Amino acid sequence: MKSFQTFQRGLAVCIVAAALFCGATSSLLSLCGPFTDVAADQFCPFVLEIFYLGITTGTSATTYDPTGLVTRLQMAAFLSRTVDGVLKRGGRRASMNQFSTPQGDTVLGLTTVGGSPQLVKSDGADLWVASFGDNNVSRVRASDGKLLETWTGATAAGGVLVAMGNVFISATSIPGHVYRIVPNQPAGAVTTVATVGGGGSGITFDGSRIWTSDISNGSVSIVTPGASPPWTVTMVSSWSAPSGVVFDGSNVWVTDFNQGILQKLDGAGAILATATVGTSPYFPLYDGSNIWVPNSGSNSVSVVRPLTANVLATLTGNGLNSPLALAFDGQRVLVTNNGGNSVSLWKAADLTALGTFATGGGSNPYGASSDGVNFWITLQGTNKLARF
Amino acid sequence: MRIFSFPRRGLAAVSIASTALLVGGAGALPGDCGPFTDVTTFCQEVLEIFTLGITTGATPTTYDPASNVSRLQMAIFLSRSVDRLLQRGSIRTALRQFWTPQNDAALKLTTIGGLPQHVESDGADLWATNYTGNSVSRVRGSDGMLLETWTGASSAEGVLVAAGYVYVTGNTSPGQLYQIDPSQSAGAVNTVATNLGNFPAGIAFDGSRIWTANNDIPGGISIVTPGAVPWTVTTVTAGFFLPIGALYDGANVWITIFSPPRLLKLDSAGAILQSVTVGNNPQYPVFDGTNIWVPNGGSGSVSVVRASSGEVLATLTGNGLISPVTAAFDGQRVLVTNNSSSNVSLWKAADLTTLGSFGTGTSTHPYGACSDGARFWIALASANKLARF
Repeated sequence: MKSFQTFQRGLAVCIVAAALFCGATSSLLSLCGPFTDVAADQFCPFVLEIFYLGITTGTSATTYDPTGLVTRLQMAAFLSRTVDGVLKRGGRRASMNQFSTPQGDTVLGLTTVGGSPQLVKSDGADLWVASFGDNNVSRVRASDGKLLETWTGATAAGGVLVAMGNVFISATSIPGHVYRIVPNQPAGAVTTVATVGGGGSGITFDGSRIWTSDISNGSVSIVTPGASPPWTVTMVSSWSAPSGVVFDGSNVWVTDFNQGILQKLDGAGAILATATVGTSPYFPLYDGSNIWVPNSGSNSVSVVRPLTANVLATLTGNGLNSPLALAFDGQRVLVTNNGGNSVSLWKAADLTALGTFATGGGSNPYGASSDGVNFWITLQGTNKLARF
Repeated sequence: MRIFSFPRRGLAAVSIASTALLVGGAGALPGDCGPFTDVTTFCQEVLEIFTLGITTGATPTTYDPASNVSRLQMAIFLSRSVDRLLQRGSIRTALRQFWTPQNDAALKLTTIGGLPQHVESDGADLWATNYTGNSVSRVRGSDGMLLETWTGASSAEGVLVAAGYVYVTGNTSPGQLYQIDPSQSAGAVNTVATNLGNFPAGIAFDGSRIWTANNDIPGGISIVTPGAVPWTVTTVTAGFFLPIGALYDGANVWITIFSPPRLLKLDSAGAILQSVTVGNNPQYPVFDGTNIWVPNGGSGSVSVVRASSGEVLATLTGNGLISPVTAAFDGQRVLVTNNSSSNVSLWKAADLTTLGSFGTGTSTHPYGACSDGARFWIALASANKLARF
């Protein structure tokens, strides 16, 4: 440690660039920060805030034109920069000094989990990984990647849902099952709470009921929790091969692998709207505004607006190669490329591509989740959970 | 509880408890849209920005929806939007923690090793380096419990949480880089490189390589590529004199150097792309997502530098700044440690307004600091403590 010299000064509060705060004179006669045309009144701090945040740069280096009107185009630029700035600052990555993106598989943190891991979900502190090959569920601590527990008896474990203070696992067997884990109990065998259509990993929760996509049975199963298992199951058979389900806060949406569609359902499972997406869609994701659908057969991602069921954009390139699952961290969407041994990233707010990043040869990334700081990716080919 | 609900046209009704009080008390008449009598469309959106305090309306009962927005009004709306979103989205709000510890009696202290230097959060725990203790302490963020002490970290100085590991600079000559696998039982650190430049201090990660600022005369930077131990080290010296702080802003690594006092923007090979003049003896900076905050230990000031341009937006003085060392950012506020005066200074990061300075205890000499999103953590070098702020 090197010591350093300091000079003590008075305690006058003065923002040098914002001369108005301390009454200092300026050769540019600035009144409000760098701006000569904004009065040094109670409104100046508002102008300075959006200047310091990079939302405005002024109409010149020294003027802001405070009385000028705002066009709709300028409004778009201001709002877009505001959204970006707030999301970037408000995310946990900013407060933890984590602005880097792992550039390759050598800098991924890896944890060995069960065989052929499928989907993964965060409970806010730990990750829960469904491992098909070993019929178990791994609990991994997010802060340090330590394997904490292994829950057994989860035959054909595929999907994961964190809800109701429990962890639910969907089995890809035929018929399928929903298993329950009570995470505050000692690790042991999972409990089977329902028998569903089967074959699929998709699982979601609408606030009272669990929904599964039964790809081999052409059905969606709606499971109503009860006092004791088996829980009541209502099966709706309206699809060819339902591959994934997601809840957007109002409705459950289901993808159909064979038909290349995403459909909006009512509370009884009836179809309300249909969006045509790409070929062989898998597990959809909701980012708070839009639904993202990975199209494994056409190497694309469809971005669908829930309000209208219109496809806003179809993303291609950016390394997409048999995309299966997605995750959203508040700013970015990550897609696993099961055939490309990589993940692709987009800025979620404007759909700009952020690049493709290798996960290692033979890793076959499958599921993905975010805990708000890191993405977590299951590597189906190497039986690992990777921190990205 | 009385509920005041306003009859509205169009969109789904939203009732706002006690809104009438906000717009003039019992005498105010309910309008067509909340308090506003002149809003007939987009009522939900107008009510949202009213409820959030982004607008107060043109009068207590009118919003003037057809008028244009001047650039000055726009600035006010946007600035308030940013503030409200950051405050509402913060975990501090969800945890109902709106206070700031006013003095050292309100700090929770954890005893760690000798002469603690820097600290970083992994999201759950804090990792603090102990310079004379030659160790690294792991402290649980939720309750401040000392969980582990990792040994063998000679002259432990800088700390970095990256790629699932904890990395620490050994401030020795030549410099060393230590690695901790936090999922393993505590023991001796793993030394992955022993040929860094002399006296590495600040440490950063660019997504594939680890960068250290080597605080020697003239010193330099070392770029370490993970691989088989020992890891490959590339040291660059051109243009550096007593570098100390390092950060990565998502695009470039930035380094502070003592002489001339500069914040340097580097390319991926360590060459200097831009040299920004800051105050004397710049120390350990932080990036807030837009700007870089540089504590100037020799000037008692903080330089706020726009990362995208290198422009110095402001030089902050006062607010208790005396020999500032380390800056930390929690999503809304920037905290700076004042080593010689044993206090910390706070600013609102969005508009650089001062929030005050707060004592950490007599002669505690705060040095490093970080945030875990909910609270700041401060290494008290002379007290061998980690303080939760």
